Amino acid sequence: MSVLARPAPPGSVAPLQRPGGAGRRRSVVVVAAGVAVTLATAFASLLLGRLGLTPGEVLDVLGGGGTRIQRWAVLTDRLPRVAVGALAGAAFAVAGALLQSVTRNPLGSPDVIGLGSGAAAGAAAAGLVWPGIVPVPVGALLGAAVAVAAVWLGTGRGFAAPLRMVVAGIAVGAMALALVELALARASREDALDIATWIHGSLAARGREDVAVVGLALLVLLPLALALSRPLAAVEMGDDVATGLGVPPGRTRGLGVVLAVALTGSAVSVAGPVAFVALTAPQIARRLTGATGPGVGAAAAVGAAVLVLADQVAQRAVPGTPYPVGVVTGALGGVYLALLLVREWRRSAA
Amino acid sequence: MAATAALGGPVGAGAPAGPRRAPRHGRPAALALGLLAALALLVLAVGLSVAVGSRSVPLGAVWSALVAPDGSFVSTVVASRVPRTVLGLLVGAALAVAGALVQGLTRNPLGDPGLLGVNAGAATSVVLVSALVGTTAGRTPWAAVPGALAAAVVVHLVGAGGRSVSPVRLVLAGAAVSAVLGAVIQSLVLARPETFDTYRFWVLGSLAGRTPEVVAQVAPFIAVGLVLALVLARPLDALALGDEAATALGLRPGLTRVVGLLAATLLVAGAVAAAGPIAFVGLAVPHVVRGLTGPDHRWLVPYCAVLGPVLLLGSDVVGRVVARPGEIVVGAVTAFVGAPFLVAAVRRGRVAG
Repeated sequence: MSVLARPAPPGSVAPLQRPGGAGRRRSVVVVAAGVAVTLATAFASLLLGRLGLTPGEVLDVLGGGGTRIQRWAVLTDRLPRVAVGALAGAAFAVAGALLQSVTRNPLGSPDVIGLGSGAAAGAAAAGLVWPGIVPVPVGALLGAAVAVAAVWLGTGRGFAAPLRMVVAGIAVGAMALALVELALARASREDALDIATWIHGSLAARGREDVAVVGLALLVLLPLALALSRPLAAVEMGDDVATGLGVPPGRTRGLGVVLAVALTGSAVSVAGPVAFVALTAPQIARRLTGATGPGVGAAAAVGAAVLVLADQVAQRAVPGTPYPVGVVTGALGGVYLALLLVREWRRSAA
Repeated sequence: MAATAALGGPVGAGAPAGPRRAPRHGRPAALALGLLAALALLVLAVGLSVAVGSRSVPLGAVWSALVAPDGSFVSTVVASRVPRTVLGLLVGAALAVAGALVQGLTRNPLGDPGLLGVNAGAATSVVLVSALVGTTAGRTPWAAVPGALAAAVVVHLVGAGGRSVSPVRLVLAGAAVSAVLGAVIQSLVLARPETFDTYRFWVLGSLAGRTPEVVAQVAPFIAVGLVLALVLARPLDALALGDEAATALGLRPGLTRVVGLLAATLLVAGAVAAAGPIAFVGLAVPHVVRGLTGPDHRWLVPYCAVLGPVLLLGSDVVGRVVARPGEIVVGAVTAFVGAPFLVAAVRRGRVAG
């Protein structure tokens, strides 16, 4: 338990990285690499599909040319999907980085503690049960907020008890998914079929308005998260240290939770509760950069790359049977979670 | 040390087999009366399950339609709901008793086949067998057995790691294993939509649309499991005192564990093969029952066998009512009702990892 409360990977035992140091440079490299992988995968995804296109044709379409069917395939079908994937992946990952930092534990991710399911329940309620009262993204936001409040109250000790928090999250997640089922049962047949794939996290049939929702949310929330990055890194070292550095620990943690809720809500409202991107992407980013603190920028870049890559795997792994992306991230993320647990008990046994 | 912490919980808390029990619980007359009351609840739940639906039948008419079917519309409606109700009885008893067994055997107050990944394992092997061999083979409980056992072993390896067994870590390992297996099930089901058309609701845990043949197939599994559980009640009480004390009392702890695991596997395999992975029944029912009976398994097991179906049939009725004209699968309702018990168990602090 004491080991679990210290998530810092072996490479990050060094004290607070000074800006401009080696850690900073590595972070920049990681961000650049993440963006490059995302862009390359995105470009490849524009080429592939039932209507195969050459790179030249795609560039032509992007520049405003091309036939009508080519324009439809690229601009209406493939581009929104990959854009939603990249943006939602970044949003999930930043939410994960913030919450993992607040809870000082890799298990304190939105998808492990039921935030994603809560957002899904909120979105389903807003979209299907009481349509027209609040927009779906707002519903997702409210759902995520209720879920995080329920977990916080459920543990009885706030976020200070990581394992309790996770178990409370499992319970909250189960209840939230039951509410999604309720919404599904009350929905019309077509709506229900739509939701049935979305419930596992899917990027199929995304439109420009979805890009706008998650894009706007990131535009506002990502700079805030980046600004909160350094105070959170100070709080990670302990409340006394943070106070000594002039950072109010309680307010910083509260802001971190609020931002994580907002990011998760916006991502879930467009992509569904895609499992485990928020758990894995910030951890991968931390290991790559070797830096302390939440590492918001690196997490965003890695999250975008992870979700876009996973969606390509889900679409193309079995020819003719496109899977929702949540199936791929669920399988990989579940294995990662198991490995995390095994490594943790090995360490406590050693 | 974690094992001792878990022992401090309701499972191990002073369960001397024999007449000297804690004064608050355990007067046999009161407990027998309570069991009668529970049976009355069960009769009510069965009546509601047969009466309520998209076309409701008055409870009085249910009785006459069951006793003397006259071929009228009402009696046809009632007859069509009988397999579902019988299945609810079997599955509810199986899951609740399996939960009590697992909690007693592992001294883990969070022992629930759903939480520990056993349901997901059973479901995965049902879907795998259906995909590879055929749906008739996939529908038999035998198809669920290997997956249930394998998942239980993997969850224990991941969560316990051979050293101290912490209940919360086991739940976490169960969540990880269930996530992976859920993805496996999803990909198999999506790859062959025509084979798995009927599985879409089964995957979520549902009593709807089961034929009498399915019920007849799983009934022997669950019946044998229930009998074994009743036989095990005394040895389980002794086991709660610790292995040495149990041996001193003339019992073989190893044998008790093996038979207990076998019984739990039969119960879960039967339940999952028929109704899909339904979580939280095995957690919530024994927790409530322990508050009534105390830790004595000779009362715990029968109470669970009666109140498990009450919860399951009640949830099924609620699922049919809240979303009219549609219905919610029973697994969603039990999750909603049962999940708070998980939080409550964790908050009491016995299971801190």
